[in-house]
Amino acid sequence: MSTTDRKWEALIDNLKVSRRDFVFTSLAAGALSLTPRFAGAQTAKPYKLGVLLPSTGTGANYVENAIKGIPLAVAEINAKGGFLGKHPIEIVYRDDQTKPDVGAREAKSIILNDKVQTIIGTYSSAVALAIEEITHEHKVLHIAATSNSSKITQDNYSPYTYQFCPDSNMQSGAVVVAVSKMVKKNNWKSYVSIGQDYEWGRDTHKGFTTELVKAAPQAKEIKQLWFKLGETDFTSYITAIMAAKPDFLFGAIAGKDSETFLQQAGQMGLFKRVPFPGGLISVTELRQLRKTLPRGIIGLARCPFFAHLKEPLMQKYIKMHRAKFGDDNYPDDWACMHYDAVYGLEQAINKAKSIETEAVVKALKGATLDTCRGKRTMRDCSNQLDVPSYVGEVWDSPDYPFPIYKPDTMIVVEGHDVWTPKCEDVEKLKKKRA
Amino acid sequence: MDLSAFTIQLFSGLSRAMVLFLLSAGLSLIFGVMNILNFAHATLWLAGGYVTYSMFDFMSGRFGASPWLLLPAILGATAVMTAAGFALERFLIRRTYDRELPEQLLLTFALVLIIGDLIKLVWGVENRRISLGIEPIEMLDTFVNPYHFVIIATGVAVAAGLWFFLHRTRFGKIVRAAVYSRSMVSALGIPIPAIYAGVFALGVGLAAFAGGVFLPLLPMSLGVDHDIIVQCFAVVVIGGFGSMLGTFVAAVIVGVVYSFSILFWPDGALAMVFLIVILVLIWRPWGLFGTELRS
Repeated sequence: MSTTDRKWEALIDNLKVSRRDFVFTSLAAGALSLTPRFAGAQTAKPYKLGVLLPSTGTGANYVENAIKGIPLAVAEINAKGGFLGKHPIEIVYRDDQTKPDVGAREAKSIILNDKVQTIIGTYSSAVALAIEEITHEHKVLHIAATSNSSKITQDNYSPYTYQFCPDSNMQSGAVVVAVSKMVKKNNWKSYVSIGQDYEWGRDTHKGFTTELVKAAPQAKEIKQLWFKLGETDFTSYITAIMAAKPDFLFGAIAGKDSETFLQQAGQMGLFKRVPFPGGLISVTELRQLRKTLPRGIIGLARCPFFAHLKEPLMQKYIKMHRAKFGDDNYPDDWACMHYDAVYGLEQAINKAKSIETEAVVKALKGATLDTCRGKRTMRDCSNQLDVPSYVGEVWDSPDYPFPIYKPDTMIVVEGHDVWTPKCEDVEKLKKKRA
Repeated sequence: MDLSAFTIQLFSGLSRAMVLFLLSAGLSLIFGVMNILNFAHATLWLAGGYVTYSMFDFMSGRFGASPWLLLPAILGATAVMTAAGFALERFLIRRTYDRELPEQLLLTFALVLIIGDLIKLVWGVENRRISLGIEPIEMLDTFVNPYHFVIIATGVAVAAGLWFFLHRTRFGKIVRAAVYSRSMVSALGIPIPAIYAGVFALGVGLAAFAGGVFLPLLPMSLGVDHDIIVQCFAVVVIGGFGSMLGTFVAAVIVGVVYSFSILFWPDGALAMVFLIVILVLIWRPWGLFGTELRS
């Protein structure tokens, strides 16, 4: 057994994520990266790709499909011989446990010991901010595929960090566009906010309130509720929201907590009383909560497959993902964004004609990439990909065994329409780096 | 603030309290009798929830979906986990009775990680939930979840059952006596090891039962146990280790205080709970209903 074989074994052991699926996927990818079956193609040095995602904690439910999807995308590239047809990709996976200190430690370890050239991943923005310091220091490319605090690309800007997900300002901006329409239509005057008491929750709430004041000043926030990550019992929060009798509810809740909140609030009839527009409802929730999710509520998504069925890349991902993981298993937002990250990296390497990090980083700057969300361009001042956010009504579709967003209610808000602040202000936010 | 909102907040506080009580009762019992601080209690609770899920899922597939299947699922999971608790005591916990406290803590903390990983191995990382098709009912000008009545009733019934068991049965009286003095009970010719195994199994069974009862409200997911064990400790510290009445009263205090804090001072809700813990530790370190007899 070669060393690389053992690394794959270790990777699989580390993951334990839906073990059977993963073993198959990883072995396929592993075998392809190992066998010198590409006669003629000279095999140059392998490309070490670091993946940091949690397999426990509040984000585990979201990133499961990403963890399963990355090896799939990698296997496909390796089937062509790897990056540039000659650098087979080796994945180095670590569980960041949704903890910034663990993420930073693991990032350091895979950079120094495994010599990874790129780190893709992280669920929690707090973890992303922590590893950004490490990747910047060691000049390693960092692709944030789902962590989306605006601080990652603005306050904490690093030329080595690229963002493939709509950031918290863009997502809040999209919700503001949708909500301010409803505020005017329904003459709403008051709202309550509820959020996860950490980096992303606070950031998202701030983004929403500052923009809503400008777009719909008549709506006033009458109460803020913050709960700690991992709350298990929202009963008292829900009764407190109902007691305040707001016209609508704004939520900054993601991951496992989102599922718990939606389930408990649905059972308590909250949505019969208080509209809840713009809570994060990704394909994960749509699939997993297909029975309990209240129909008609307005959700927010980051990369829902049903919004881009005409894109060839999206079609490819859907086909690939379902073929591997079962007909019912459509790629969720989190898998899509990670597919885009891996193929985005491939395109940058092709453009640079080199796997050297400095060249790849330069190639990504302002690049226009083919993604499952169409052709998208990197924003120059912050390395934020210009990707849309999606707001729509949860609705039972005849085409899928789970609800999706009702097509005629879906608002697709383009990234460049809502990315804030302006570039000159982003420059002011950026902290000084050595 | 009007009366109906007040009542509803009290109601939601009581529901939270009963969840906390069901969770903490076993922890308190095990510590009170055996002097073992079981860090893995919430993890065993989580395992109980997963087993309940699997049994419910299996029976739904077999006999057709019905919310009533939850009952046999919970009882089945409780039985399975009680047996697991018995085995755990027999093979692991028993070996630490003569060891120092840090070693016991290390063992139960290791169990948190081991059982957590076992759950990951068996059920994967996807959250597990069941749907009973619960519809909210209208009450006091607002909506409530009818299942909360079930939770409150279950909490009170378990409290009453435990009281009856501890005060009116022979085994229960021995268990209570063991809280006060192990050596005296032993001197009377009662086999302490058997009592310990029984109490540990009962505690784990209670945890699994709580997991099953909670399942319709909370999707089971990895790591929830870490979030919830701290609140269990708060309840048990306030009530006094080993005292069921104390655990019950403390759970009500914590649940109701938390609930009203959310209404009046949401940012300080958790702080309020731990403020009470601090006050209790200063004023009565052995807890409201605990006993200072134990050295």
